[in-house]
Amino acid sequence: MNWSVILTSMLPEHLLLVGMLAILGLEIRSGHSRDGFALALLSVGAAAAAALWLFVTGYLAEPFPQHFLVDPASSLSKAVLIALALPVLLISRDDFAETPYYTLVLASLYGACLVVSSTSFPTLFLGIEIMSLPVYALVLLGLLRAQSTEAALKYLVLGGAATATLLMGISLLYGWSGSLQIEAFGAALQYSDPLAMAGAALIVAALFLKAAVVPFHAWAPDAYEGASAPVTAFMATVIKAGVLLAALRIFGTTPVLQPMLGLVAVLPLLSMAWGNLAAIRQVSFRRMIAYSSIGHAGYLFYALLGDGDGRWQAIVFYLIAYGLMNLLAFAALPRGADDERQDRLDALKGLYRRRPFSAVMIAIAMLSLAGLPPLPGFVAKFLVFKNVLAAGHTMYAVAGLVASYLGIYFYLRVIQYMFMAEQDPAAAHGSPRRYALAASLLCLVPAVLLMFFPGWLIDRL
Amino acid sequence: MADSTILNLVLWLPVLGMVALLLSPRGNDSAVRGMTLGVMLLQLALTAWLYRRFDGSVPGLQFETRVPWIGDWGVYYHIGLDGLNVLLVALTAFLGPLVVAGAFSAIQKSVKLFYAMVFFIQFAMLGTFLAQDLFLFYVFWEAMLIPMFLIIGIWGGERRIYATLKFVLYTAFGSILMLAAVIYLVYALSQSTGVPSFAFADLYQHELPVGVQGWLLAAFALSFAIKVPMVPLHTWLPDAHVEAPTAGSVILAGVLLKMGTYGFMKLGFPLFPDATRLFTPALMILSVVSIIYGACLALVQTDIKKIIAYSSISHLGYVMLGLVSLDLLGIQGAIIQMVSHGLVAGGLFMMVGMIYERCHTRELAAFGGLAKLLPVYSVFFMILTLASIGLPTTSGFTGEFMVLMGAFNAAWPQFQAGDSLPLVLAVSAVAGVVLGALYMLWLAQRLLFGAVKAPHQPFTDLVAREKAILLAFVVAIFALGLFPQGPLAKTELAARDYQQRVLASRVEGPTP
Repeated sequence: MNWSVILTSMLPEHLLLVGMLAILGLEIRSGHSRDGFALALLSVGAAAAAALWLFVTGYLAEPFPQHFLVDPASSLSKAVLIALALPVLLISRDDFAETPYYTLVLASLYGACLVVSSTSFPTLFLGIEIMSLPVYALVLLGLLRAQSTEAALKYLVLGGAATATLLMGISLLYGWSGSLQIEAFGAALQYSDPLAMAGAALIVAALFLKAAVVPFHAWAPDAYEGASAPVTAFMATVIKAGVLLAALRIFGTTPVLQPMLGLVAVLPLLSMAWGNLAAIRQVSFRRMIAYSSIGHAGYLFYALLGDGDGRWQAIVFYLIAYGLMNLLAFAALPRGADDERQDRLDALKGLYRRRPFSAVMIAIAMLSLAGLPPLPGFVAKFLVFKNVLAAGHTMYAVAGLVASYLGIYFYLRVIQYMFMAEQDPAAAHGSPRRYALAASLLCLVPAVLLMFFPGWLIDRL
Repeated sequence: MADSTILNLVLWLPVLGMVALLLSPRGNDSAVRGMTLGVMLLQLALTAWLYRRFDGSVPGLQFETRVPWIGDWGVYYHIGLDGLNVLLVALTAFLGPLVVAGAFSAIQKSVKLFYAMVFFIQFAMLGTFLAQDLFLFYVFWEAMLIPMFLIIGIWGGERRIYATLKFVLYTAFGSILMLAAVIYLVYALSQSTGVPSFAFADLYQHELPVGVQGWLLAAFALSFAIKVPMVPLHTWLPDAHVEAPTAGSVILAGVLLKMGTYGFMKLGFPLFPDATRLFTPALMILSVVSIIYGACLALVQTDIKKIIAYSSISHLGYVMLGLVSLDLLGIQGAIIQMVSHGLVAGGLFMMVGMIYERCHTRELAAFGGLAKLLPVYSVFFMILTLASIGLPTTSGFTGEFMVLMGAFNAAWPQFQAGDSLPLVLAVSAVAGVVLGALYMLWLAQRLLFGAVKAPHQPFTDLVAREKAILLAFVVAIFALGLFPQGPLAKTELAARDYQQRVLASRVEGPTP
């Protein structure tokens, strides 16, 4: 075994692991669980930089042959995933002083890194589980209200169901192909053998469950609402990105044909339509974001209808634009002691008068999530539908665009509340937080750059 | 400085202004107003300079800038002036300072955000006119929604939320189908040439089967027709106009509505000429219906602002009629009519705003005999009324007369060939002129003459700032009415180009 290759190629993972261990060690040494924040930030920052470095130098190695591959694509995926966690950590600072929180976030990131590098189903499975398990605990950690427990339990049970489905799918595929390599999935798509189809369909269903695609979405609104805001932000961005990158890994560049086309096109389409429609009647901000993310999961899976190279471009660009904007909204969101009240959309009424910076930031995030130009969300959506259309699915592209139209209203309603409604006099003011401000800027600056120079990123994907 | 740099400066000055405003500290409203007006005047000066430099005898684009934006897709940041957009860019830059100055006293809430949004929409509108790349065009086109949503929604009247959501949801629906058509169009182009491109120039050359053209034109036309607006897609307009603050109405009537007609002229018709000729009868009927129906609705309104809003529908019907007549006179008339309507309706909305600021009502029944109370106001109102009717020497006459001449020119040969529909439509459009005179004169009569009646008295006549704004409108209206040769010379080549593009068949074979 070549240790130096393992050391270099898995540098991001190692840095996360070191951070995790250091935080735990600190806790043992000092006796109380505080101040994991700085260490976590440091190790995540270093890991993101390491992944970026591996990408820029075009590093290519297979530290564990047949299982784990480090190529520029996986390094970039890691860089995106880890970098998205940076603002999450910043907005967590004021909510979570305890060490376990940071350990769990780092562990989850470690799992996400495994996912995007895996070339075999066991590694992939391991990665997905390491990524998801800490999140069940994270949902519970805030324990903001009685429903948090219920939310975490729901999430755990459905997550367990997804795990079982994934394993079942993998074993069916193994039975059909005799291989545990993820290429088996691509091969299964080429043949309409019932066993292979069943295996592939189960794997896709598991991914849909994890990413909350209709009709496997029911856990998301409860989990998002029950968790504290930073954890919701983490689930909506990093975890979703991890699942999508896993899907991208599995689908590779294999064209999606019938009968799989029905599954990969129709359910995401329903997801867009239903996510966007159901979001309209929500009164809780995090629940609304949950439905919004159900809709966005639809767009993201839609990208798989496109051709091989376009998929990669579309999904990565989309994840970056979507992740930045979701995090920007959460970073700018005013927060107070009374979570249940603060989470109501009504609490945003008149926000522009109270805190113009937050209001403008949230407005930018909402407009981008709605996919209105000139914000980066538009280019992301354009990429997805351009690829869908280029693959010959004209009607699906038109239907998807119409479904995306349905989403405009509820995003605009947030802006309407912030700018056009009179302030509820009883609304809690919530104090501005320094770390959240840093997180807002950390999301805003790349988003503005993406707005003016989307080509810079697209040319590099 | 090169002229293309100046054109870029004209486009990006509002962005600089917007960023400066958003970063400035709160509280100093008069400095914000002064700074905004200064930037707008600078923009107007630069535009005037470019307008003088623009040479109508040179075909194609002038002061062009073309740099890659999204290299992979063949998207360019490509802007330039041509005969089709030069007048509209001038109109936009002309209205900018007037809108800003007109809002000095009316807007007292969130002043900074208001002017930032005015800058934003100015940028988006100029960008839409200047863009020579379909992707860029779409980005600017759709970006206009955001500031207008806020302008109506924050500073609007009683039912502003309803009006602004209706406006956005209407226009966004059109745009989303247009987006599908844009993606398809560009995809089809890259399939046939192998090189992805969004350039208008490339798309004009591209040949598509008539059936495909029909679908794509339908998608584009839906979006443009909502913006114009053409009956029956006009229902958002009265709501948006009535609820919008004065500045919003002036922008909406002055420039935003022209986006629709400009879109037809620049993209819809020349991109899909065969489908256009197929749809010409339907489009003519819709135009004439808009003219008559808009005028009839204006006749029965009791809210002054609504009268002018419906008159916009009627006046933009002429623009559409001129564009689909495919007669050179008609096309040029349509361009002049666009500018003229921007000036006349913009001015009228400004005046309605002024009376609203004084009396806080727009109900026509509440007023009477203002000529005695507000003599200066009444003089200006009368001039604008006559310009709206199309009295010779005003710009309204030039535009409408040319459009109707064009419509008759185009209809006569068809009539002789046995097709009487175009002639019937052209004659009906003349009825719109009569109706226009009727509702505008009736409005002026009830407002300005008769027994003296006003919600509160006494109120002051126009202040110097308001007089200056209206004087600018009136001067521009007479200038365009008395000396149309200059603008016509600048647009003639482009109008011919448009005519040829639409008339030239690019697809052989039978039409479906």
